[in-house]
Amino acid sequence: MMLRWWLSTSALLSSLMIVLVLGFLLQSSWPLIQQQGIAFIIGDEWYPFESLYGMLPALMGTVWAVTLALLIALPCGVAAAIFCAELLPAQLRGAMRFSMELMAGVPSVVYGLLGMWVLLPLLESQLELLTGRTLLAAGLLLALMILPTIMVLSEDAIRAVRQSQREAAKSLGIGWDATLWRVLLPQAWPGIRVATLLATGRAMGETVAVMLVVGSIDRIPDPFYNFLQPAQTLTSRIGREMAEASIGSLHWAALLFCGLLLALIAMGLSFMTPRKRIAA
Amino acid sequence: MSVASQQYRYTPGKALVLLLALPALLIPTMVLCYIFWQAAPVLNWGFLFGTADGVGFGVTEGIFSQLVGSLLLAIMACLIAIPFALGTALYYRTFATPWQQRLLNAMFNMLQGIPPIVFGLCGLVVLVNLFSWGVSLLSGAVVLAVVVLPLLVLNTLATLERIPNEYSEAGSALGLTKGAIILRLWLPRSWLQLLTGLLLAMARALSETAPIMFTATVFSGVVWPDSIFSPVTTLQTHIFYLAQEGNEPLLISIAWGSAAVLVLLVASFGLLARLLQKLGDN
Repeated sequence: MMLRWWLSTSALLSSLMIVLVLGFLLQSSWPLIQQQGIAFIIGDEWYPFESLYGMLPALMGTVWAVTLALLIALPCGVAAAIFCAELLPAQLRGAMRFSMELMAGVPSVVYGLLGMWVLLPLLESQLELLTGRTLLAAGLLLALMILPTIMVLSEDAIRAVRQSQREAAKSLGIGWDATLWRVLLPQAWPGIRVATLLATGRAMGETVAVMLVVGSIDRIPDPFYNFLQPAQTLTSRIGREMAEASIGSLHWAALLFCGLLLALIAMGLSFMTPRKRIAA
Repeated sequence: MSVASQQYRYTPGKALVLLLALPALLIPTMVLCYIFWQAAPVLNWGFLFGTADGVGFGVTEGIFSQLVGSLLLAIMACLIAIPFALGTALYYRTFATPWQQRLLNAMFNMLQGIPPIVFGLCGLVVLVNLFSWGVSLLSGAVVLAVVVLPLLVLNTLATLERIPNEYSEAGSALGLTKGAIILRLWLPRSWLQLLTGLLLAMARALSETAPIMFTATVFSGVVWPDSIFSPVTTLQTHIFYLAQEGNEPLLISIAWGSAAVLVLLVASFGLLARLLQKLGDN
């Protein structure tokens, strides 16, 4: 009886957690919605002191940073996965994989330190920018952070393709390149897709590292594809301004709404991810 | 032609793969080496076990109180999360209907995807302000517990799934209650893997910064927390503040030293987990 009580209570509580989180976020950001409607989501001006809470700059910043990170990390990560799975001798494969798992565990704040004191000076001197704090810096740093995730999961996907498929291709006289494009990658694609979606989620939610390098200026890049300008992401805005906002103010509500937005996008992403019951 | 020579023969595809893979393979290694190279000058026993005497701007010789703060938060978070994670996973295996199983699955996959900063925000609103726990060890530990909860639950589920059904069936055929089956059959068989999951959760809790930034930590002024309602200093936030505000080479080298210690700490939990997993597989 006691057992049943314990088990059901904990199951109920932990599955209610997500509802509680969303509920609290909505409840605390309600004053803003009540006062300004919902149109501020697509507003392009964020000036807390004038009660302007347009979400568009930070939304675009987030999308840009994540896109840049994926553009860099996806080709490199998948290529590295192919290299490890298909070309590397089996003895080295274990070591490579181990170091990748190690890299995946490096805390994000360490990447932040690296970005701040290595990447920013490098960008400033190489690209002759006034400030290295740009969307590009955030994208590069995020790429580095999601690389291990993409690599490890893609390697799993490629290695899961049956050996008989490779042998069949070889016996048909199909070369290595064609086997890769026509056999391995199409079959591993579902796995690579999951890796991409997980990496997208991680990149989107990353806070401290991005906050240190993105510049935190609430402005839509001009023109919109200019990623050499300082910008703001949803997470960096929360991180920067949460300490300044006074409790219960509209500013506070707007920041909590940023959190709600993040949570909703993340939930959308996990709906798109095919269910995998057992997490690695 | 032998298989080996074919594997290493040049093709344009291989060249492309190698070209793209090279940065992905080299840069992470370089990053790790760079961290330790930068940290080397400050890493010594005095740095590791020294504590702040004054309340200056991080110009302290040691990081011991930050180290203890980080570990304390992570351990408390895991202690809070364990009963819920274990209970939920066991409920899933014992009482849940298929419909409830699907729901729990969806919930935890979703919970895992939510960015940690969102939990930090909720912690700030609910724990710090509404419950008036303040910026404290307890608030931070509860927030971190929620962050590691999905990881622990999914890990425990994966472990329980590996127990053959015959075990539990034989158990119930012998008239064992559900409690006895859990205690006498499942636990002895899977405690090693459960411990592995716990170590991974510890590593995760140690590497999170965003959720504890507003809920548990201060930069200086605290050496040792004197109760669970006292704020702490942690390695993660120490690195963050030094990286952000530091303008002297000394401060930055302290940041690199702390980063190296944190990386080593997280990696050692990961390594230990891996070792246990190997032990459990055999």
